[in-house]
Amino acid sequence: MDKTTDMVPAAPLLRVSDLRIHFEMEREVVEAVNGMSFELLKGETLGFVGETGAGKTTTALGIMRLVQTPPGRVVAGSIALNGEELLEKSEAEMRKIRGNKISMIFQDPMTSLNPVLTVGEQIQEVIRLHNDISDAEAVKRTVDMLEMVGIPGERYNEYPHQFSGGMKQRVVIAIALACSPELLIADEPTTALDVTIQAQVLDMMRELKEKIGTSVLMITHDLGVIAETCDKVAIVYAGQIVESGTVWQIFDNPQHPYTRGLFDSLPSLDKEVRRLKPIEGLVPNPADLPPYCSFYERCGRRAEACRAGEPETVEVEPGHRVMCRCARGE
Amino acid sequence: MSTLLEVRELRKYFKTPHGWLHAVDNVSFQLEQGKTLGIVGESGCGKSTLGRTILHLVEPTGGKIIFEGEDISQISKRRFKELRKEMQIIFQDPFSSLNPRMTVEDIIREPLEIYRIHKTEDALRGRVKELMDTVGLAQRLARSYPHELDGGRRQRIGIARALALNPKFIVCDEPVSALDVSIQAQILNLMQDLQEQLKLTYIFITHDLSVVHHIADNICVMYLGQLVERAGARELFVQNLHPYTKALLSAIPVASPHQKSERMILKGEITSPINPKKACRFAQRCPHAKEACFAREPELREVLPNHFVACHYAHELNNLSE
Repeated sequence: MDKTTDMVPAAPLLRVSDLRIHFEMEREVVEAVNGMSFELLKGETLGFVGETGAGKTTTALGIMRLVQTPPGRVVAGSIALNGEELLEKSEAEMRKIRGNKISMIFQDPMTSLNPVLTVGEQIQEVIRLHNDISDAEAVKRTVDMLEMVGIPGERYNEYPHQFSGGMKQRVVIAIALACSPELLIADEPTTALDVTIQAQVLDMMRELKEKIGTSVLMITHDLGVIAETCDKVAIVYAGQIVESGTVWQIFDNPQHPYTRGLFDSLPSLDKEVRRLKPIEGLVPNPADLPPYCSFYERCGRRAEACRAGEPETVEVEPGHRVMCRCARGE
Repeated sequence: MSTLLEVRELRKYFKTPHGWLHAVDNVSFQLEQGKTLGIVGESGCGKSTLGRTILHLVEPTGGKIIFEGEDISQISKRRFKELRKEMQIIFQDPFSSLNPRMTVEDIIREPLEIYRIHKTEDALRGRVKELMDTVGLAQRLARSYPHELDGGRRQRIGIARALALNPKFIVCDEPVSALDVSIQAQILNLMQDLQEQLKLTYIFITHDLSVVHHIADNICVMYLGQLVERAGARELFVQNLHPYTKALLSAIPVASPHQKSERMILKGEITSPINPKKACRFAQRCPHAKEACFAREPELREVLPNHFVACHYAHELNNLSE
């Protein structure tokens, strides 16, 4: 199954290096993404975990080149898909890539569908935009997509309001996968769904991923969803990746105080704890980030040395990187 | 321990163009003073309506609500205004449940003004300060508006407002669902501390089973307006008897890559609560459904001590003797 083990490592499908995205407002500059670097291999699922405002969605929109400009602006960095720099593409070229090579599923299925078009038309739209095919062929492929996500083809002519939340999210997934993209960005794809429906959708996404061989960037705040779906994890805090590694490394051997704090604050089903251990304090204001470690104020292991500047990222074991002074064993 | 609240065969139906929507149907339970009853279920199962019906925020269609021995299902508005002091609610969404044009201080003092609790302005101010301290809101935020604060702090305002009148009983309707995990833990700890200090009794409505496992003493599982299982919190997680409870529990993604549990994935989705047939409402999605399930409505029966299940085949499916 793994072809890359001992030969030359495969070139990554997506390589993001030192990405910085700022929103330049009238009175302040919101530093949403501050030097993110990560790679995604073909067929791999990378989970992005973090709290509200950590910059997960902005990074995703940056990859899609959908950050609203102004006020948003990619200040620095590079986003390479199959070695091609996306930041240098024209808008026309990007339109050919979006929905075709890179697709995105948004959190809220209720608002990401067009209420006045039938679901069939909405799926067909993507297929026809990126493929030069006949009407009959487009309809056939649309019906195939519907059935692939578990919706009977007869419902082609129904409108979004005739579907339940879980079914709508399936339609959104069908649109995203209609052109067999190489990269799928799923932004909280199941957050708005109930657990039993979430289980159905995650199960389906896993099957489709295997069938199509798509790489997935899974954005979520739910560590349970990460554990079930991802190969690798990146923990995002204040626009930076503070820790990254394989699912096993992150769950079995979390190193960054923030990652540990996240695990500790989760109520667990198999442990009886009287009190939870929350992370004290609040996420820093992204318009006023300190010049040193952004987790400093909330960190239980902080020391004077942490204020000396931005912490370096250290590789504590192969593939497991931590952005913390403590990780160096100091 | 004395019973603070008892609900007997509570019903709330809404009229719709297609018939009667049975939002809450024959729900009965008792709640002891100082305890927490968790109510879990998926969206549309009637859990919020249940909480609101108990507080008369919506009028019940039938059944009894007994609070401290008094039947409050049919009482005068004036008497109920008195009772409101004892029974409060914390809402899910700290973004829409606070008036955006009022400051933190104004929001917390409003109930105190309405009930004219304090004779002097000083006493009133003092009480507001005290409440802000209790819920961990810094005094410097008194003049802030809700939009200036983050979700966790906003939820603290909602809690302070609910506590203002010294209630005995609070319905907490998804109080932490809109919050990030690190903040969620802060609020859950606060709610537990307050319960201990002020001897509060909670109904805790949530769709998050790990939260309810953490905070509740007893749990009711709801499906389409009815209770399908009711048991002690620990018991329910160790030995759940209803197929829906089992499916719900197995659907939770576990935050550990070691446990790729065999999951029981339910087919379909929650069906319509409008004019439900006299049958088991879960039967259509139940992997064990038999003929009887479509013919008769199961009653909530005590299958094990203090463990109630509404399933015709509860004994058979769980290898229990009748």
